[in-house]
Amino acid sequence: MKHVLFGTVVAIGLALASFQVQAVEGTLTIVTSYPKDTTGTFKAAFEKKYPNVKVEMLKKKTTAGIKYLQETAGSNTSDMFWASAPDAFEVLKGDDLLVKYQLKVKGIPEKVGAFPINDPDGYYKGFAASGYGIMWNTRYLKAKKLPTPAEWSDLKKPVYHGHVGMSAPSRSGTTHLTVETLLQGKGWEKGWAEWKAIAGNFKTVTERSFGVPDGVNSGQFGVGIVIDFFGLSSKASGFPVDYRYPTVTTLVPANIALVKNGPNPEAAGAFIEFLLSGEGQELLLDPKIRRLPVNPATYAKAPAGFPNPFKDSSIGSAVKFDLALSKSRYNVINSLFDVMITYRLDDLRDTTKAIQDAEAAMAGKSNDKAATLIAQAKALVNQVPVDAATASKQEFNAVFKKKRKKATTKVEGRQAEIEQDWDTMVKGNYAKAKSLAEKAKSML
Amino acid sequence: MTSINTTAAGVEIEDLDVSFGDTHVLKGANLSIEPGEFFAFLGPSGSGKSTLLRAIAGFGPTPSGRILIGGEEVAHLPPWKRNVGMVFQSYALWPHMTVRRNVAFGLEERKLPSREIATRVDAVLEMVGLLDLAERRPAQLSGGQQQRIALARTLVVEPRVLLLDEPLSNLDANLRIQMRRELRELQQKLRLTTIFVTHDQEEANTTSDRMAVLNDGVIQQVGAPMELYDNPANLFVATFLGTANVLKGLVEDTDDGAQFNSVDGVPIPLHTKERGPRSLVFRPQNVAIAPANAPVDSDRVRIAGTVCHMEFLGSIIRYGVSVGADTALVDDQHRRGAPVFAIGDEVNLFLQKDQVTTLKN
Amino acid sequence: MGSVFAPGQRGPALAGGLIALFLLLFLLVPMAQVVVVAFQDPNTGAPTLINFVDFFKTSLFQESFINSFYVAAMSVVLSSLFALPLAYFTTRFNFGGALLIQTLGIIPLIMPPFVGAVAMALLFGANGSVNLLLDEWFGFTIPFMEGLNGVIFVESIHYFPFILINLSAALNNIDRAMEESAQNLGASGTRLFRRIVFPLAMPGYVAGAALVFIKVFDDLGTPLLLNINNMLAPQAYLRITSIGISDPMGYVISVILVAFSLLSLWVSLLALRGKDYATLQKGGGGLMRRDLRNWEKIGCYAVVILILLLVLSPHLGLLLLSFGTIWSFSVLPDAYTIDHYVTVFSEASGYITNTLLYAGLAALFDVIIGTGIAYIVWRTGLPGRKWLDYGATAALAVPGVVIGIGYLRTYHGINVPIADQPLASWWVIIVVALTIRRLPYALRACVAALQQVSVMLEEAAENLGATKGRTVWRIVVPLMSGGILAGFVTSFATASVELSATLMLVAVDSDAPLAYGIYEFMQSAAGRGPGAALGVIGVVFVGLGTYISHRIIERGRVTLESTAIVAEGAAA
Repeated sequence: MKHVLFGTVVAIGLALASFQVQAVEGTLTIVTSYPKDTTGTFKAAFEKKYPNVKVEMLKKKTTAGIKYLQETAGSNTSDMFWASAPDAFEVLKGDDLLVKYQLKVKGIPEKVGAFPINDPDGYYKGFAASGYGIMWNTRYLKAKKLPTPAEWSDLKKPVYHGHVGMSAPSRSGTTHLTVETLLQGKGWEKGWAEWKAIAGNFKTVTERSFGVPDGVNSGQFGVGIVIDFFGLSSKASGFPVDYRYPTVTTLVPANIALVKNGPNPEAAGAFIEFLLSGEGQELLLDPKIRRLPVNPATYAKAPAGFPNPFKDSSIGSAVKFDLALSKSRYNVINSLFDVMITYRLDDLRDTTKAIQDAEAAMAGKSNDKAATLIAQAKALVNQVPVDAATASKQEFNAVFKKKRKKATTKVEGRQAEIEQDWDTMVKGNYAKAKSLAEKAKSML
Repeated sequence: MTSINTTAAGVEIEDLDVSFGDTHVLKGANLSIEPGEFFAFLGPSGSGKSTLLRAIAGFGPTPSGRILIGGEEVAHLPPWKRNVGMVFQSYALWPHMTVRRNVAFGLEERKLPSREIATRVDAVLEMVGLLDLAERRPAQLSGGQQQRIALARTLVVEPRVLLLDEPLSNLDANLRIQMRRELRELQQKLRLTTIFVTHDQEEANTTSDRMAVLNDGVIQQVGAPMELYDNPANLFVATFLGTANVLKGLVEDTDDGAQFNSVDGVPIPLHTKERGPRSLVFRPQNVAIAPANAPVDSDRVRIAGTVCHMEFLGSIIRYGVSVGADTALVDDQHRRGAPVFAIGDEVNLFLQKDQVTTLKN
Repeated sequence: MGSVFAPGQRGPALAGGLIALFLLLFLLVPMAQVVVVAFQDPNTGAPTLINFVDFFKTSLFQESFINSFYVAAMSVVLSSLFALPLAYFTTRFNFGGALLIQTLGIIPLIMPPFVGAVAMALLFGANGSVNLLLDEWFGFTIPFMEGLNGVIFVESIHYFPFILINLSAALNNIDRAMEESAQNLGASGTRLFRRIVFPLAMPGYVAGAALVFIKVFDDLGTPLLLNINNMLAPQAYLRITSIGISDPMGYVISVILVAFSLLSLWVSLLALRGKDYATLQKGGGGLMRRDLRNWEKIGCYAVVILILLLVLSPHLGLLLLSFGTIWSFSVLPDAYTIDHYVTVFSEASGYITNTLLYAGLAALFDVIIGTGIAYIVWRTGLPGRKWLDYGATAALAVPGVVIGIGYLRTYHGINVPIADQPLASWWVIIVVALTIRRLPYALRACVAALQQVSVMLEEAAENLGATKGRTVWRIVVPLMSGGILAGFVTSFATASVELSATLMLVAVDSDAPLAYGIYEFMQSAAGRGPGAALGVIGVVFVGLGTYISHRIIERGRVTLESTAIVAEGAAA
């Protein structure tokens, strides 16, 4: 009892002494998807600054983290959610699991690249920028005599067949943004055609987003489509890998937000402020973390060659990212990618190989009939079961959600039913395309 | 009618040694078993009798020495090339096969045509009287039935020698007597060389033509059952076969010839040329018991003693009589009305000299 | 066996009730909370079976089902190829190091499959050490890890110990005379094995094989790590955890997984009915151990060493990874260092303490509950007793993620008074989850042990005045001790590498067990080495625990055998 009284007195004293600062103490529980290298660094620095706070980092995959917060909402014990993908925060926001926070730190711009750094509704804050790009294993490329890729379109080339890895948009929010960026940059039909052409060269679609850098690092496949810090930190850790941003990319902020009814909002606020302060932003430059700070001033302290999106306009500014459009078709894109690519990767790969072989045989020859067949095959592969307009329809999207905003939202059909229809079409198309390509090749 | 056509083979054991690691369980066994003979290995547990039997079948550690069956050296052959039939103590009927499949097994291993297998299996099951149980599983049979199936399974392959490892020990007393008779009859009918391991001397006596008594890995004595009983070669054989009184002492020269003086100084005159420390052995039924004042017969040796216990066994009364520090057992034929000694009575024991054996200690 | 309402049944009835309550609260209710979605119309929420109709109409799910079945069946085949020689050689021949071989053969169980998959990819992947060497020397590569092959390969290596343990026990229980009588009748070599030895060991083999089949059929970790999606468990997982999407099919698949696993279990029990050969008889159990000729010995050792190298390759890979600096597209790491161990040294002790505590407690509860259920099912006439067995065994088929979500959903609102936190985020819930998840292993071991204890021994104790409870405590449990310890070891070893349920339930970092810690490290490029080092430390600790328990079992068996012989002698 004495201790408690004494503690209280001291606390009040401290609070009075620094009358502006609220008493920041107790335990701060942060649900995060970040690796230990990141969380450990920030935890140590924050606890040093606020010795009365003990930070508990609760490591969950993004998907598991969302489930965890959803399931525990009734008697919430977590203060913050800290992860990359803005869409994960959108889901939590949609479920009313976050609280708004008014940032005090100054000097953070509105946008990085074409993407707004903070949630326009004020729920989650960007603390670092990340862009998607291409990562490759230098030993692998040398051994297999492959050229270094520079652009997304390079990955379509037959030389990369079976050498590329990527995660799925339904598994990784940042992957989703990459897919969406390309679709917005190239348009619905052409965008999907581009993705299928690249995916035809896939060795694998990984279940986790970290599976891609892991695969490139260990040499399971040579080229990976990854978020920048995976590539940069792998390189910094000594792996024989390199990374670059293609022209068409988007920079997306990695985010942090306060969980609704969190037990320690004062400490949570202090953590956000710390994260966005000059001190916190500088920690992002650590070779094991390697994220792009959102405070432009921090880049002055970055090592040479560190990409600066605020100076280098080639990074992430080619596409004007339409957030509303992205939101409107979010689930449809996840599902479409899985049905057309993830679950039918073997078929797609074989068909792509057949088309590539036929085109190789075509090189330097002219055979109209064969050319027509190849064009037909490509068209079949590229066919998308739904058009852009349907994909954005609210009623259609509702099929993929259990929780609907309004009970009156009309829902026709079930996800399993729709996916089965798509699958039948996609599988049939791939098979037909393959036989057409083979026929074309036999004519040459 | 017998469906089994066997050619009896003799078994020769020469200088057979078997060791389990550092434990020497069979030490230089020599044995000659005649073709068609019913031979028993008798001994207490741990005497090496089962080891010897298993060595003949080819089981256990590789022995040194020679084993000849029908004149053929088999010690280097694996069990499956020896063609000796063995019936196991636990019968070892395979629970996953029916009776028929169990019995057919050996014939199948010999790659016989299936029609012949069927006929022979039927015949042997008929012979043991269990043809109607052919489709049952071993678990559904009684102990006696299992025993017969195990026998049938072994006999059907027409082995050169039949080995029986304590085959009766898992049966109850009445069935045991019945089965040992059946075994003997069957053996007589088939004239099959049979080796029977048992620790029960009554079993060995009733079934076998000859037997070997084993103890401590050594064959103590070989011979017909009665011969061994009457003329044991050593103290072990004497005491293991039936009940024997043993008095320890010294055979010394006296004026009247040899005299045995027990450790307690009881003098017993003997007909023997042996001298030195000896044990005097005699069977309880070869001693007469009489009151202390009974007349002494010069042909017989008199030993004075005191009755210290008494058991009524029906046909006989068995007395324990203290002689010095030893106790001698005496069997007295029981007749109705005959006098009975009480504990504490002073008695004389009369012993015929030709019924006494002296053995080295 | 007593009658249904005998007064002596009150104790067992109470114990049975408690166990049933435990299963209800921590298995059935949480599971029902999750899978109820499978029976609801996704659009209206009304109860329906339409989702199951969709399942069977969807070609992707049909293929996934066939793939899962194929992988599970092939894993049984491959596991058998690993387990058979190890079990046979060590039980049948006088073989130096048999105990060591048996222990090493169990080590694969104590490596989290996701760690194993990382190491296996480095060794056997398309550009792993083996294929790099093959390519360099012979100009070809073998697709060990491509597609379903990889899943079969990794699963077989991980789960084959189930067959090894069960088959070895069965072989050890065969009466030597069974084999000798066949030899005496002319059988030898492979014919002897095929016609006599193997059929007699069949119950043990089938029990192990069924366990492998079900575990592989339900496993989601390995296919996910190898990026194989077209199987049932990963499909369920992907659909349950996709961001934003709430597809009932994930739960439908979970229900189907549970149902199919119970079906396979039932089929395997049916196949074994009436084949429960209690072949251990008087005269000593265990196959005849033969001395090997020199060339045979060389051959056997070559086979054993080859198999051990193969099944321990994940551990070798992990060891290399933990000492290696950079290992990328090369046969071996570029250089070696102990830095990774230095990095994890300070944190390892917390993870290891947590793991030993959680897995130890879970295994302890498992054998207590397992013994209880075994006794109630096989020794009492309580109505509905079989359902305890079915219920506990069903846990085998419930995906860890379903249990994890179910616990959060059911118990987050319940506050634990003394600890003053929600039950779902109290560390004890992790122990409960592990207990439920590993109960089937302990249960099977306890049932097997109980079946070898003669009822007569219990009757003798009761006749001398011991109550049911005292009899169980003083007679049954001591006689079962070998089997109980075996169950403890299996539960302990496998619980210590569990990840799927714990990933969901760990609420604070300081409560995290080892597998969680390794997973956390392995999520970054720089953490691969430290993660591997942590993995090696964990394997060493859990392996030591397993080895010590094994020694205790061996000692226990000797005393148990002499007791059994005395008991048989008394009965004869």
